[in-house]
Amino acid sequence: MKRTKEQKEQKLILSNKDKPLLKRMYKYRYMYFMYLPVFLIFLVFNYIPMVGILISFTKYTPFTKVPQWVGLQNFKQLFVSDIFWRSVKNTLIISSVNIVLSITTCVGLALLIDEIKTVWFRKVVQSILYIPHFISWVVVASIFTMILSPQEGFINGILQAFGQDPIYFLADSDWWRVCLWIIERWKGIGWGTIIYIAALTAVDGALHEAATIDGANRVQRIWHITLPSIAPTILVVFIMDIAKILNIFEPVWVLQNDAVLAVSDVIGTYVYRIGITNAQYGVSAAAGLFKSVISVVLVTIVNNASRKIKGEGILS
Amino acid sequence: MTEKFSFKKGHRARAAFLIFDYAFIVLLCVCMLVPLLKVLVDSVDPTSHGIQLWPKQIDFSAYKMILGKSSLYQPLWVSIYTTILATVIGLTMVTLAGYVVLQREMPGHKFIVSSIMLTMMFSGGLIPTYITIKTMGLMNNVFTVILPASISAYNIILMKSFFEGIPGTLYEAAELDGASPMGIFARIVLPLSKPALASIGLFIAVGMWNQYMNFVLYITDANKKNFQVKVRDLILNDGLSGSIELSEELLKNAMVVIVVFPFLVIYPFLQKYFVKGVTLGAVKG
Repeated sequence: MKRTKEQKEQKLILSNKDKPLLKRMYKYRYMYFMYLPVFLIFLVFNYIPMVGILISFTKYTPFTKVPQWVGLQNFKQLFVSDIFWRSVKNTLIISSVNIVLSITTCVGLALLIDEIKTVWFRKVVQSILYIPHFISWVVVASIFTMILSPQEGFINGILQAFGQDPIYFLADSDWWRVCLWIIERWKGIGWGTIIYIAALTAVDGALHEAATIDGANRVQRIWHITLPSIAPTILVVFIMDIAKILNIFEPVWVLQNDAVLAVSDVIGTYVYRIGITNAQYGVSAAAGLFKSVISVVLVTIVNNASRKIKGEGILS
Repeated sequence: MTEKFSFKKGHRARAAFLIFDYAFIVLLCVCMLVPLLKVLVDSVDPTSHGIQLWPKQIDFSAYKMILGKSSLYQPLWVSIYTTILATVIGLTMVTLAGYVVLQREMPGHKFIVSSIMLTMMFSGGLIPTYITIKTMGLMNNVFTVILPASISAYNIILMKSFFEGIPGTLYEAAELDGASPMGIFARIVLPLSKPALASIGLFIAVGMWNQYMNFVLYITDANKKNFQVKVRDLILNDGLSGSIELSEELLKNAMVVIVVFPFLVIYPFLQKYFVKGVTLGAVKG
């Protein structure tokens, strides 16, 4: 008797799903209107441009009235171009060094900050370290162009004080990438620690106490307890960075100049120069599509890897 | 696990480490601040150059000129109103979409979620987007810059994961009282979401204030360019015709100060919301 009652109740709950579609939709009628504006924005700025990818299979310049279908010719032209492969190579070099530097410096700094127990000092320090993150790349480039300037710049001022010749850092092929990496660190080192500091506060204190009783010293505890505890966080950050590896654009764009094009031209700036400046829409769109496809493949691989290691994907 | 700081035997290594730790972090903070200090000094002292880090004279003429000259005043105004618009529009859209994504039983839920995720996974790329915007006649429209900057899949997911943290019993209780999904949204979800609204709103505002590329691409009308573009033009030396009286360095530095320092003044009060935004996103990851 009792059982049937339970079953009845269960049926009552289920019936919500069994209702006719329109009735269920009616219950949520306002929701559709709530999502509509968002959908329209995505439609105009995201979905329709995706259809525009077809440009990469056409011959299209500002003077062509009707784009002419040329199949894979743009891609052929791209794949025999040395300049294109140079930009792929530069992208990989600049981004991968960025990723390695970013993870090592941020984890290291987070460990150092975590050792500081003076609350007010810690708060002040964190506030200062986060500041550069909020300054736009355009302004960061402006600041560092002046600081690194060969005539009046701060750094060359120091060099001259030591009797060295001034160096034109941002126009010197040997120095440009180093400058970019350092500026990237200036802007990102503090902000990147937030996620690790949050992970560090979640490390189980009992583990440390147990290890201390067992005679482990501080270095051993960091190596065997702290780092493994924040390893999942490091992995997530690493995976996200890998997914974005080809996307680097704005920092390079604002610091680049013609003198250092050979070491600084990345896929993003190549696409911009060919497309916007030279108006070769077809070839540029093809290069963009190449980048997007590789990125999607990377995201998928990386997401599957994370599913295997962590048991769940980053997306979904 | 509090430890005493001392140089007694057995504590020496620890004490040495702590001294190194504090010193290193102070040094790092100095590295963060020196470029900003340098800009500030160079904006008020026309004679400052090289390693000078303290003004020998104070001269506000660069600021007076920027605020008096309409070709520099207009971009500042554009930056201000686009930032306000983007924040208001963005917060509205993100909360609406975040709440819709939460409705698992709503018909079409899967379609909506995938329509959001798709924008994160794939994009048309620079040229197809540029050509599409141009073909649709959206060039020189400030909303072409504002709308994409105000709404992002990432912020929607952030908002949704915050909504999920609201105890389910609250929803159930309201539902039993006969509240509609809209009623629950207005009377329960929104009032409880103030911290998330602050975090996401600030991220949108900073993003819009710092917007540069889209202004370069989609806005050709000089009256609708924002301050970032103007700063960039000035640094590349083609934005300042007819202002010979003042040295260019002074003006460049003053513009950087104007675009950065207002934020630095309000930033200490807002910092916790920014940090919350990051850790909120990290929970999901």
